[in-house]
Amino acid sequence: MRQYETGFVLSPGLSEEDAGAFIRQMADVISQKKGKMVKQDIWGKRRLAFPIKRFTEGIYVFFLYEGPGDISQELERRFKQSDSVIRFLTIKKDAKDAFRKKKRAAREAAAAAAQAAPAPEATPAPAAGEEK
Amino acid sequence: MAREDRPERSSYRKFFPPKKKFCRFCQRNVKAIDYKSVEILKKYIPDRGKISPRRITGTCAFHQRKLSLAVKRARLMALLPYVED
Repeated sequence: MRQYETGFVLSPGLSEEDAGAFIRQMADVISQKKGKMVKQDIWGKRRLAFPIKRFTEGIYVFFLYEGPGDISQELERRFKQSDSVIRFLTIKKDAKDAFRKKKRAAREAAAAAAQAAPAPEATPAPAAGEEK
Repeated sequence: MAREDRPERSSYRKFFPPKKKFCRFCQRNVKAIDYKSVEILKKYIPDRGKISPRRITGTCAFHQRKLSLAVKRARLMALLPYVED
């Protein structure tokens, strides 16, 4: 399963309960879609680097989850519908995995080469014999 | 100006060569740069809010690519400014 990370910024106008309810709803989406929440990060209110929709603050929330790709689609659809989300971003968290895979592949290739190396040495000799 | 015509490098360079730069990410063996780690990214954007080039920070090509992507993502999420004056 692939890991995804979705971060979103809620408008500062929301009360704490509303924000909490919204975050719980979104977390439910993940479990409904048979995803697994790995980490839920709530930064709370934070100053924006530049105003968005005339807001200067935002509530930052980050979800790290694994599961099928349609989770992020569903989340983003809901973000677009709701007025309280000012920004969202989903990224694939496969950088590390790709690294490990590459390393593993390299190691396996090296092992295969090491195994294959004695065999070709054995084969040319009979071949040479056949030539004679 | 042809290469030969260029004046000799000033002598102070010979005695005080510029300090060798190195990649801070390689030094710590960092594989991925997260866009949420704003404090790290802030070191690579000077006052103007631009991404500083490799020739100034000494970051290696691999990490500079990761860094620029992280900065751009952080900008989208309003963690870092696009422009600052």
